[in-house]
Amino acid sequence: MSRAAETRKRTALASANSGMPRNRFSLQHRGRQADIWTLVIFAGFAIVVVFLIYPLFDIFRYSFLDKTTKVFSMSNWKEFFSKIYYLRAFWHSIVIALLTTFFSIVLGIPLAFFTTRYRIRGTNLLTTLSVLALLSPTFIGAYSWITMLGRNGFLRLMFQSIGINLPPIYGPLGIVLADTLQYYPFISLMTAGALMTIDRSLEEASENLGARSVRTFFDITLPMIIPSVTGGALIVFMMSLSNFGTPMIIGGNYLVLPTLAYNLYTSEISETPGMASTVSIILMLCASVVIVLQQWMSSRRKYASMLVNRPIVKKLKGIKSAMAHFVCYLIVFLSTLPLAVIVYYSFKKTSGPVFKPGFGLDSYRQIFFDVPKTVINSFLYSLIAVLLIASVGTLLGFVIARKRNTAVSVLDPLLMIPYMVPGTVLGIGFIVAFNKPPVVLAGTATIIILTYFIRRLPYSVRSAASILKQIDPALEEAGINLGSPPGRTFRTITLPLMQSGIISGAIMSWVTSMNELSASILLYVGKTMTMPIKIYLSVADGYFGTASAMSTILLVVTGVAMFIVNTYFNRGSETFISA
Amino acid sequence: MASIQIIDLEKHFGEVRALSGINLAIDKGEFFTLLGPSGCGKTTLLRTIAGFYHQDKGDIYIDGELINNVPAYQRNTGMVFQNYAVFPHMTVFDNVAYGLRVRKLPKDEISRKVSAALKSVHLEGYETRTPDKLSGGQQQRVGLARAMAIEPRVLLFDEPLSNLDAKLRIEMREEIRAVQKALGITSIYVTHDQEEALVISDRIAVMNQGVIQQIGRPWEIYTNPQNMFVAYFVGKINMLTMHLEEGSEGNLRRARLGRLSLLIPAEGTRDLQEAVVAFRPEDMVEAAATGRKNEITGLMKNVSFMGSVARFELDVEGQLITVDRHRPREADMPRKGEPVAFAVPVESILLFDPKSGLRIGKGAQR
Repeated sequence: MSRAAETRKRTALASANSGMPRNRFSLQHRGRQADIWTLVIFAGFAIVVVFLIYPLFDIFRYSFLDKTTKVFSMSNWKEFFSKIYYLRAFWHSIVIALLTTFFSIVLGIPLAFFTTRYRIRGTNLLTTLSVLALLSPTFIGAYSWITMLGRNGFLRLMFQSIGINLPPIYGPLGIVLADTLQYYPFISLMTAGALMTIDRSLEEASENLGARSVRTFFDITLPMIIPSVTGGALIVFMMSLSNFGTPMIIGGNYLVLPTLAYNLYTSEISETPGMASTVSIILMLCASVVIVLQQWMSSRRKYASMLVNRPIVKKLKGIKSAMAHFVCYLIVFLSTLPLAVIVYYSFKKTSGPVFKPGFGLDSYRQIFFDVPKTVINSFLYSLIAVLLIASVGTLLGFVIARKRNTAVSVLDPLLMIPYMVPGTVLGIGFIVAFNKPPVVLAGTATIIILTYFIRRLPYSVRSAASILKQIDPALEEAGINLGSPPGRTFRTITLPLMQSGIISGAIMSWVTSMNELSASILLYVGKTMTMPIKIYLSVADGYFGTASAMSTILLVVTGVAMFIVNTYFNRGSETFISA
Repeated sequence: MASIQIIDLEKHFGEVRALSGINLAIDKGEFFTLLGPSGCGKTTLLRTIAGFYHQDKGDIYIDGELINNVPAYQRNTGMVFQNYAVFPHMTVFDNVAYGLRVRKLPKDEISRKVSAALKSVHLEGYETRTPDKLSGGQQQRVGLARAMAIEPRVLLFDEPLSNLDAKLRIEMREEIRAVQKALGITSIYVTHDQEEALVISDRIAVMNQGVIQQIGRPWEIYTNPQNMFVAYFVGKINMLTMHLEEGSEGNLRRARLGRLSLLIPAEGTRDLQEAVVAFRPEDMVEAAATGRKNEITGLMKNVSFMGSVARFELDVEGQLITVDRHRPREADMPRKGEPVAFAVPVESILLFDPKSGLRIGKGAQR
């Protein structure tokens, strides 16, 4: 590495160390000689331009092309805002996201409060099960509720036999039910985190000044956890807004923006995807508003203290204890139930699409004889994607954390774009952009792997950068000072210190890639089918046995990954929510 | 030949001038301290010598070799960091061996040198420990051993003791000094603690706002400060801006501030109507001791008992004057609000030009 570049690096390191504003140093020795990190920055820009800006711009362009004449026109936009069919989907999306957020808060806060402040037996089990529900593929929950409460669902029949007619599950009720029971852990985990880091002496001070404990909760505790609750609520809103699998499976005719965009795209397949593009842009704008709100919220003050005095965990007695246990277990039971039902059905005997009495491995046999390729694809694609995500993410994270300069401060926010691009939108963008020269990728495995890579990249970059922020730059300086060149220092000092964070992040990326549906369903062809896609198609065709067995495989994979991250890397539940 | 020579060094961070006109020559084996308040440029200068910053102008020589264009990892300077920077994923042995392995020394030589380095910092037997099992003081010893093990051309200390508690700090500075003298390695030591600087250094450079204010032995810095900043920063000093009367009384001249009247050395004051009259708290004596010459009277504002010293604060013409009395006795302590009288011997007085801040006349007599 050249001396100038070396100096530039040291300068950035030092500014972090001395607590002086970074940008004061950032312009120094700018753009002298190229080094490996210049190359990384350049690659970062190339990735953003080719795989984000280009496809998104293509969508943008198509939304302004008349479908028949293919010249510039506002016709798509006019159509969107004049037809109730489109506006209704927009309205549905907002309603679903709001209701899901509301019910997630209703479930999440009591669970968080009880498990952190009262002695609840099996708190670890409760947390693990709710995280499993959170990380499981979105469409599994929806599909499982259908088997329970669909037209011939066993729960519906059970209730019918005692004279209770449940409302139909297809439509908004089913979406909100499935979404809420999947996403409420965002609220409960983030709130629990906040509740555990409130300094005990603050609540003690309030009581010392004469406030009763209920008043203390509302005056002191609640205001301090509100930033975390709203942070979690915005994530839930975002996830629900951009969720494709759940409304696709359980939504029936109740369209939301992602399913509308998908339907439009598949029906416009022979013409230019004008309306699909317009809807995609609207969806992306909604998501961006939420992301901006979320960034703004998280930049505001947080009250987490240095944990001088952990809050006391009270022991409840008698009826109070029983009630608290009942509430906690009921919430987690409801969210785990769909998963358990899936696993149960996967072991039922089948004959073609129908279940028969008794148990067996028919469904699994069917998978391994009929569609082994699908299972192999899922594992292979996500593995390749993870290798890419971890290596590129780590390098870009290093650049962002350690080499602040003008180029990097432009690149940093650009890398966060995938946060606000729902999977459906990215899928449509990829298919319209890479179906024509100069880059033709349609129908290849590459395009699916790239989708996984792009969707997951911001998480990986963020996580690498935040790991690095916890590593004192003086350690790297010490290495350099002892005579080790920068490359060797990165290899022998920086990388070993980042290792466990990188691996646990990579495992989480692997899980999310394995479970990806919303973008890949637009991009797959027969030979590049993956498990989530196969599950969706099986459900649509009524092959519930195959769907259950595949879902169970994905659940096991998710569970094993969680177990590894938890046990070997000693990472708490924060890892899962940031994933 | 000087071990380290710095010529006309200059460094900016954006608009901020961090170093300017730095000229230094440090002798072989010398313990040289950069002393100054935070933000004075002392750490910037040290890091520029280490190669972590690159100067905008000027030259740095180590052992006669111009190192301007030598990258940090080839400068062979052993740095001891403020926050220790002990590699947390390596044992004590691997930490100390790191620089030796980079230099591709044979195995037996590495283990011999590591042992010697650990021995000199009293950490024998700690080889297989990991840093999380060490106290702050022990971690800093590892940091020191690691820097010494590579037998650097110069040891660089970046406020190495500021994270340690008061007692350990004193212990460690004695140790650093002893090890440095035993090995005879040229050392540059950065600190903002003036007492630490006086104790540990062969010579001190006092810095402020990126400029070296004075270079000298600890005695010179304390008794013969060249400007008001040095006088004020090193030790405690009283400063009064006083009006000078026309004419002199022999080699003395009369200075007034309200009702306060002092005789001061006349040397160098001819063109001045005003001067800053400065004297240290410990130089103040009982009024009787000078036969009431140069008497300073005022009301006792505050009495602090500090053990070996009692410190009085007097209100004199609306300004606070500090007086130290050694071996104080409780029975003799004046009360708050009481009128008291002390005197300042004329030979203890330092004079400064209020406009330039520069010293006038000779140093104080000790």
